[in-house]
Order: sequence, then C-alpha cells, then structure tokens
Amino acid sequence: MDAIIARDLTKTFHTIARRPGFVGGLKSLVAPARIAKTAVDGVSFSVREGELLALLGPNGAGKSTTIKMLTGILVPTSGEVRVAGLEPHRDRERNARTIGAVFGQRTQLWWDLPARDSLAILRDIFDVEAEEYRRRLAEFDDLLGLSEFWDSRIRHLSLGQRVRCDLAAALIHDPKIVFLDEPTIGMDVVVKEQVREFLRHQVEQRGRTVVLTTHDMTEVNRLAERIVLINHGRLFFDGSLTELRRQFGATWQVHVTLADAPADVAVPGLRVLRRDGPRVAFGPGDGATSTHEALRLIIERYAITDLAIEENDLEDVMREAYLHREQMTA
Amino acid sequence: MSVAQWRVARVTPLGEFAQPARITGTAVRLAAQVFLVVCLWRSLYSQVETSAGLVRDQAVTYAVLAVLALQIRGLDRSASRDTMLQHIQEGTVLYWFVRPIPPRRYYLVRAVGDQLYGFAWVLVGYTICLTAGAVEPPASGSAAAAFAVSALLAQVIMYQLLLAVDLLCFWTLQNNAALTILRFLQNLLSGVIAPLWFFPDWFLTISSVLPFRYTLDVPLSLYIGRSPLSDTPRLLAIQLLWCVLLAGLTRLMWRKAAGVVTVQGG
Ligand SMILES: Nc1ncnc2c1ncn2[C@@H]1O[C@H](COP(=O)(O)OP(=O)(O)OP(=O)(O)O)[C@@H](O)[C@H]1O
Ligand SMILES: [Mg+2]
Repeated sequence: MDAIIARDLTKTFHTIARRPGFVGGLKSLVAPARIAKTAVDGVSFSVREGELLALLGPNGAGKSTTIKMLTGILVPTSGEVRVAGLEPHRDRERNARTIGAVFGQRTQLWWDLPARDSLAILRDIFDVEAEEYRRRLAEFDDLLGLSEFWDSRIRHLSLGQRVRCDLAAALIHDPKIVFLDEPTIGMDVVVKEQVREFLRHQVEQRGRTVVLTTHDMTEVNRLAERIVLINHGRLFFDGSLTELRRQFGATWQVHVTLADAPADVAVPGLRVLRRDGPRVAFGPGDGATSTHEALRLIIERYAITDLAIEENDLEDVMREAYLHREQMTA
Repeated sequence: MSVAQWRVARVTPLGEFAQPARITGTAVRLAAQVFLVVCLWRSLYSQVETSAGLVRDQAVTYAVLAVLALQIRGLDRSASRDTMLQHIQEGTVLYWFVRPIPPRRYYLVRAVGDQLYGFAWVLVGYTICLTAGAVEPPASGSAAAAFAVSALLAQVIMYQLLLAVDLLCFWTLQNNAALTILRFLQNLLSGVIAPLWFFPDWFLTISSVLPFRYTLDVPLSLYIGRSPLSDTPRLLAIQLLWCVLLAGLTRLMWRKAAGVVTVQGG
C-alpha cells in the first residue's frame, strides 16, 4: 500500500520584484513586476507504508516546499497529492489526524509554557485519551530523555532539547505518517544518535511512514532505505543508497608506490590521476571498474611496495550527484 | 469542535501564571493608571458641576472603567512570540494548518481565553474600585442590563476588528504600522483616551459611523446613564449590525488567507 503519492507535483511562487532605489521603489508600487519562481517542478514519487524515505537535495532544491505540499500547508500549483488516501490541502482536518510534522527550525510549542504543558495542550487539540497520552509520553521520555527538561519553559530550552520536544509533540496523536524537515538541525552527536534511534523505533516498531529531509549524510547512511534526490525542483534520482553509490559514487582512487619506477605507467581501463616519482594515483577509466578489479590489474603489471584505497564517502557521492544534475540542466 | 479543544483557551493564563512578575507588573500598572485617572478627572471637575452633560462621578466612572477595559481589548502577546504577525514572520503559522482544529477556530479559542483572563482582572479591579468609591454602580437596574448586553456585543466587535488587522498579515507580512494606527484610532474613537462626550460634535458624528465607538463608549454611556435608556434598542441594533458586517468580512478574509498561506523560506 502506498501511504503517500505525489504525481507531477508543481509549485510556483509569485513574488513582487523590488527594484533598487527610491525611483525603483515607486515604480514597483505603480507597476509591480511579478516574478514567477518554480520551486517544485513536476515531482512524482510514492512512499510505501512503513517506509523511511530521505528527501535530499542542495539548499533551495525545493525539499521544504515539497513537504509543505505533502502536509497540506501549501496548495500545489498543479499536480496531485494523496496522503493516506486524502488530498491534504482539501481535507486539512482529517489529514491532520493522520500526519505529524516537525519543521526543525520552527517550533509548534508555546514559548512561555513548560514543555509538558505544551504537550498537554496538543493532547487536547488532538483529543488524545488521558491514559494513552500518559503511556505515549512515558515512551517518548524513555527514548528521548524529555523529563530532564520538560518542566522548563520552551524559551529556556536549548535547540536540541526543543527539537526533541517538537518530535514528541508531532507524534503525540500517534500519526501513521510523519514528515520531518531537518529534524536534527543543530543537535550534538549524542542527541542526533538518540533521535535516529527514536526514528528507527518509530519505523520498525510502530510501523510509521517517515519522510525526512536532512543535510546530514551520516543520518542518511544510518537511516534511509530509500532516497529521493531533487535539485532545482526536479526529481532526478529515486532509489536505494546502494544504487545511488553505484550511479554517482564510482569515483575512487588507488594510491600505490611502485617498487621500480618505469618511465611510463599505464594500466588499460584505468586512468593515472597523479604521478610523483614512484608514487602513482589511479582512478577509474572509461569503463566502470571496481577498486577490486583495479587492484588486480595494477598488481598484474607492477610490483608495488605500498597501497592505499580511497573510496568516496556519501558526502562526495552527494556532491557528485548534485554537480551531475547541474551539468544536465546546463 | 470537541470540548477538549476548548481547553486550548488556557494557554495565555498558564503562561502568565508561569511568570508571577508579569502579574505583579500588570497589577502595579493598572493601580497606577486608575489612581492617576481618578486624580485627573476629579481635579478637572473641581471648578464645574457638569461638563458635556456629565457630572463628576459619571465622568470618573467612565474614565476608570475605560482603563479597566484595556485588559480585555486584545492582550499583547508579543513577549510570548505568540502574535499572528510573529507566527507569520517566523513561519510557525504553518503548524496551524496541520492540526485538527481550523486556524480560525484556534484563533477564536485563544482570544476567548485571553479575554476571560482579562475579564478576571476587570472583575477584581471593578470590585476594588467600587468598594473604594472610585466608580459608581450602574445608573439603574435597566441601565445595568443594557450595559451587560451592549458590553458583550462591544467585545465581539473588538474581537473582529483585531482579527481583521491580524489577518492582513497574510497579505502584507507586516502589520506593525497598521496595528499601531488601529490601536490609536481605537483608543481615541472609543473613549479610552477621554470620554467621547467631551469631543466636538463633528468628532462624535465621525465616530458614530465607525465601529470603534461601539466597542466601549456605547456600553459605558449606558452604564453611567449618559445615553438615555430609550436609545438602547437603536444602539444595540447598530452594534449588532457591526458584528454581522465584521464577521462577514473576517470570514471572507480567513477563507482567502488559507489559500494564500505562503510560509517564508526554510
Ligand atoms: N514563500 C516563498 N516565496 C517565494 N519563493 C519561495 C518561497 N518559499 C520558497 N521559495 C523558493 O523556492 C525554492 C525552494 O525552496 P525550499 O525552501 O523548498 O528549499 P529547500 O530544498 O528546503 O532548501 P534548504 O535545504 O535550504 O532548506 C528556493 O529557491 C526558495 O527561494
Ligand atoms: Mg528546507
């Protein structure tokens, strides 16, 4: 079953261009120049029930805009959204009971209330039964360590503490589908790990569907089963982490030190990236060669005294993917 | 809407109780304002018996009640980062659209909570002022009844006006200027600054065709017996008309707002 379906989702923002200077300002008043900016451009994908999907892309790619449409906050300019069978922006109230949302930089909690009071207010808004509420709160406390600070007012919480409260707030009504826009922003490594554990628990034990955006590749590595990449509002990859690596991560370097230094070094299928006396750096040639294969080829030809393999980590893979996309559009 | 959802009204009072300094501050400010207003109007009346058709105690009562009423004329939530403008500027308004209570309903419940909280202040202040002789009781039993109905309608008009200005934020993204102007107009034209009876005739004429007067001056004039009781039906009818007109306007604005909600960046 698909929990979320997006078909040809498009959002165009219309803003009024401000011309510089006083005269420009007057002109803008009299004849405002409207600029159209397509933030999301024909994006289609679907998410199965109980799946965790990472929506990734560089700054300004359109991730938040996509999430805002999926949650029913923004009305799509065109295209279709179905979340648990509902059209979110047309059926906001019913939709609200099936989804939970955290926008990392923004809190939904009341600034002047202790965190626990804020959660109690949300319990009332979502009509959660007292007993269920107590049980869930205890579970969240267990996983997120909320009780350390939930008697403090929100304004006095650190960012990491605040976002943990926001996570609890978003799940207090037991939503089937959860949208998280940069939920781990500004957290230290320990808290990040705690939140990842929490999310894994929500997906694996509670069977929730999670759509997550993040710029933290460790997180993607640890959490995401599936990745959707967008850039300039367009989707350009939808698949698993392994596929992503295969498609964009085939860059590696094999550094060797040759026992004797021949004048010419060449290995068919590989490229010599750098040469410094006996030290040579090989990279993949035209065909997609694995490091394993490359090593065999090198050792067949040369005697080597030292060896190091450098494989790209996920950040490099991402950079490669984002750049690749830039070239495609250029 | 469920009963539990009405409990959201307690947000503001809870926040106030969490910070006793704010409560002390309000008490001190209110006491000082009432004291000064009583002194001012008593000294203004030291040479005359009647002015603008009001005797001294009527004028003092009007002015003191106007000060107390400030507590229910839209509580300033900016210190709690909880005004509509702040929610729109900071983007936190987007959470209003992912809750099973429509934004319009949420706004209403919060306003009811704020006003009930403010009303508690009014009641306490009124009781103290009445005991201390700073305000007179209502001119008559029927005046009290007319006042009660009129005050309720006044509150509805007040709510709609504040809401209309708040809703403007969805289009302008900044309504500081509009709010400042509206606050001043409201205070001037409704009788907070001085009882309207002291202003020239043309001013009264203008204020009669605007809604502001009906948020305060009308109920207070009924209370002190300055407006004849025979005038009550007409005044209440006008108030009711404003309620309906403004309710229509804000309803329309809400509908449009939900369509234009664009949350800045992020
Ligand atoms: N309300 C708006 N009005 C006009 N343009 C907007 C609006 N919201 C977003 N945009 C534009 O749409 C594009 C996509 O923005 P979005 O916030 O979705 O990016 P993002 O992928 O979430 O980026 P980030 O990683 O920086 O959070 C950006 O170019 C942005 O400037
Ligand atoms: Mg974003």
